[in-house]
Amino acid sequence: MITLKGIYKYYDSKFQRTFVLKDIDLEISEGEFVTIMGPSGAGKSTLLNIIGMLDEPSEGEYHFLDQPAHQLSEKKKVEFHRNFVGFIFQAFHLIDEMTVYENIETPLIYKGVKSGIRKGMVAEMLDRFNIVAKKDLFPAQLSGGQQQLAGIARAVVGKPKLLLADEPTGNLHSGQGKQIMELLSQLNSEGITIIQVTHNEEFARFGKRIIRISDGLVLSDDIVSDTNEPN
Amino acid sequence: MINSLKLTFRRLFRTGEHTTTRIISLIAGLAFGILLLSEVLYYYSFDSFYPDANRIYVVHENVRMDKSSDKMESYPRVSGAIAPGLKSEVPGIEAATRLNSIGTSVFYTEDKKSYEADFSLADECLFDVLPMPIISGNPKEILKKPMTCLVSTKVAKDIGGEVSGKIIELKKYPGKKLTIAGVFEELPENTNYKYDVLISMVSTSQFFSYDGTSNWMGNDRYYAAVKLAPGVDPKTLEHAVREMQVKHQDIEKMEQQMGGTVLKYSFIPIKKMYSEGAKDMILILTTIAFAVLFVSFMNYILLTLSALIKRAKSSAIHKACGAEARNLQQLIFSETFVLFFISLVAALILIWVIKPLAEAQVGHKLISVINPQVIWPLLSLMILLLALTSYLPGRFFSRIPVSSAFRNYNQKKNKWKLGLLSLQFAGASYILTILVVVSMQYNNLITADHGYNTEGIYYGETQGVEAGKISTLLNELRTVPGIEKVGLGHSLPIDGASGNGVFSSGREKELFNVADFYYIDENYLSILNIPVTEGESFSHGNSVVNDLLISKKGAEKLKVFNGWQNVVGEQVDISAHGISTIRGVFPDFIVKSITEPDLRPSVFYYYPAEKFEQIRADSPSFMFYVLIKTSKTAGSGMLKKITDIFNQFLPYRDALVKNLSIEQKAGYQSAQGFRNAMIAGNIVILLITVIGLLGYTSNEAARRCKELAIRRISGANLPDILRIFILDLEYVAIPAVLLGITGTWFTVSKWMQNFANKVPLHWGIFVGSSLFILLLVAFIAAVNYTRTANRNPVEALRYE
Ligand SMILES: Nc1ncnc2c1ncn2[C@@H]1O[C@H](COP(=O)(O)OP(=O)(O)OP(=O)(O)O)[C@@H](O)[C@H]1O
Ligand SMILES: [Mg+2]
Repeated sequence: MITLKGIYKYYDSKFQRTFVLKDIDLEISEGEFVTIMGPSGAGKSTLLNIIGMLDEPSEGEYHFLDQPAHQLSEKKKVEFHRNFVGFIFQAFHLIDEMTVYENIETPLIYKGVKSGIRKGMVAEMLDRFNIVAKKDLFPAQLSGGQQQLAGIARAVVGKPKLLLADEPTGNLHSGQGKQIMELLSQLNSEGITIIQVTHNEEFARFGKRIIRISDGLVLSDDIVSDTNEPN
Repeated sequence: MINSLKLTFRRLFRTGEHTTTRIISLIAGLAFGILLLSEVLYYYSFDSFYPDANRIYVVHENVRMDKSSDKMESYPRVSGAIAPGLKSEVPGIEAATRLNSIGTSVFYTEDKKSYEADFSLADECLFDVLPMPIISGNPKEILKKPMTCLVSTKVAKDIGGEVSGKIIELKKYPGKKLTIAGVFEELPENTNYKYDVLISMVSTSQFFSYDGTSNWMGNDRYYAAVKLAPGVDPKTLEHAVREMQVKHQDIEKMEQQMGGTVLKYSFIPIKKMYSEGAKDMILILTTIAFAVLFVSFMNYILLTLSALIKRAKSSAIHKACGAEARNLQQLIFSETFVLFFISLVAALILIWVIKPLAEAQVGHKLISVINPQVIWPLLSLMILLLALTSYLPGRFFSRIPVSSAFRNYNQKKNKWKLGLLSLQFAGASYILTILVVVSMQYNNLITADHGYNTEGIYYGETQGVEAGKISTLLNELRTVPGIEKVGLGHSLPIDGASGNGVFSSGREKELFNVADFYYIDENYLSILNIPVTEGESFSHGNSVVNDLLISKKGAEKLKVFNGWQNVVGEQVDISAHGISTIRGVFPDFIVKSITEPDLRPSVFYYYPAEKFEQIRADSPSFMFYVLIKTSKTAGSGMLKKITDIFNQFLPYRDALVKNLSIEQKAGYQSAQGFRNAMIAGNIVILLITVIGLLGYTSNEAARRCKELAIRRISGANLPDILRIFILDLEYVAIPAVLLGITGTWFTVSKWMQNFANKVPLHWGIFVGSSLFILLLVAFIAAVNYTRTANRNPVEALRYE
């Protein structure tokens, strides 16, 4: 599904070029649950953003579903966001002036889903994540965990093939974090490919494969052994 | 779209987005800009309400004033025979008409009620060229029949009831009874030639001692308009017009005598006539309007972009949810649209609130501005501004790169903000300096020495006072304590004077033209404090009827033309008077006004009071004023006292007494309105700039709050910190201010070109207003940064 070949990312400042990602080669197939780990500043978010086509690599090739993503037009990228990927953020990033309902509805509107169908889809999400009662509240009126639930609902309401989660539990206490991780596992078992970034070793093990990067280089890429899996 | 509107309203009053300040700066800018631009467009809308206005031209007479100069002066008035002559002798002219104004007058109906209206004599072709809808009557018939008239719907309404058949009588022309025979729709205000009552031109001899309706030369007081056949260029008519002149005016002989062109006619498009005359005003009003609009929009965009930067993350979130650039632009568009719309409505309400004030400045009803020539261009401009203010931020917002939006986007250095801010500084110093110059020029006008005294002088019209009672009126006035002197005069310096020609002996040729004030008594000049420097002034007993006083300039001309050493005691021949003896010379004073000075030499003729009475007895429409000089200690209430006395002599008790000094100032109303527009513009632009500065410095202080704290901790004291921050701003402000005052210099020198009496453009003016702006910048920055700097540095760091 995802193929990265010789991906470089660097920023040029006045006097020097800072490399954030160096020669990343990566292959991720459909249905995987990948965890990316690494120290702060290692380039994890950058990598995730490149995969999510929110950012562009400075060099290298990126194929998504056999399409050369590094050559896609703006329009095609928007199509990609609408149809194939959902994002979950550490800071939740719900839209402040929209209610929970409207937040979840937003990707469907952009996708052009008809209002009748949209209602059903949003209702299903609210139901599934147990936030029906909160649907008319604004993000500021929710707890962190509830906000992240809404964030996940928004990410998956469009039935994406790929879910990108950048420290989804970073701003939550461990109880809430665990709940979120279980949700992700469940979504993965339903067939959604997930790539998450986390600093938490325990939560990392929810993934089936852990990639460790440091200083923009891939250090290791291991399959999580079943014995180590919690539960 | 509905969705984005909903979101807009939710966002509207969130704090920290400067919504209120953004709206205020837009409202101020829009209200001022709309007012000024509609005024300018209004100038261009003159007479455009006539059907086929593009084919209508006003005939101008271009005359060379005297032999010594090549300059042709152009007037929109011609002799009586010109309009019908053009129609019959110049192919391509479809219709031609002429109007002869009697001016504003009070008139009475038979039931003794009095009204006021503008009267004009018109020929029967009027509505062929300048049509107005007719409510009743046949205008062609009415305008052919002696002593019948048409009245406007306004006059008809004033009088009330069925007006046709009613008899009216002008106060100015007692005994001349006019029959109303029709009603036409009232003229809009935006016309070059205004009338409320049209009297048939065949009645001319009833109102004028001289009927010049078929004159080919002289008596050039007719407003003539022609309508050209479709597709005819007025330039192609030159030859035929010349033929007409040769045939009827004996123009070739005159040209020989004068040694060159004497008299030419030109056709000025009726729609352009007004704006051509107001060119300098239009230039400066337009630049000011755009400067204010520009600054207020720059400020709006600056504040909007600052607010958007705070929302950079949401741009990225929307993109992650699958929004395309177009969706984001739409989102911001609807936000700015709503803000713009609210501001526009508020601006219109504001204009409506200040309507009385604005109307006093512009001198016409604001409602008159509402016509297609004004509305369409304004509307287009508003749409353009809306598009710009909505498009630019939208584009900016949709282009925020996602990856950096998730980082601290607002921590970036924002050079462009300074750029936008500096444009505001440039605009502010531009307008401020213009204001200073315009105010100085205005003060110069009203305080300038006009060459005669106005202090404590009143004057009253004598129309309606019976001839036999004039002397009683004068005696009555002279007994009032506080009244020092009472005199008579045909006209006043502020009114200007009609022109008459000074002839060489034997009337062989006209030597030069004079501003003729006609008749004055022996008190007139001493009331106005105009001295006689050579010879002697008029005095009872010594002077005889028709004795002449001439201004210095005229005396000099006479010496040159006639080779005289001295003019006193000599005789001159002036048209409309014949030969008279020069008794003295007085210094030239300002005839009419400094802005529209009549630069010709001036003359006065002597009439004793008895002569004034006698002429009035012979011809009741002979007009003149009573001039009254009050003592310095007379105090207020004189106007009422004098008016009361006048009323004793008027059957309708409708005396019109005025104060000369007030009326003189009123002559500069347009200059005053202009200066006041400048003041308003300045208040608006300074307000906006202060808002912009406050916004900028607050943002900047917040952005650099950590830097401030660190500097404080490392021992910098407040003045050091302020110096650094303020200098940052001033480095931008100084070039901006220089740019602004350079703009001012160009604009003002262009504007002042036509002033005879210019204030010197002293460098101090420019330095002064530049310093003012720079100090204002420093002051506001100091206040705002001090607030931030005084916060506990530890706290500031903790927040980070
Ligand atoms: N727009 C940018 N300009 C300059 N440098 C950048 C930019 N974006 C990222 N970087 C740099 O790239 C490096 C990697 O950033 P990235 O956000 O990918 O790290 P991360 O692994 O996600 O760290 P964290 O665990 O703290 O989230 C950092 O050193 C950062 O300073
Ligand atoms: Mg990160």
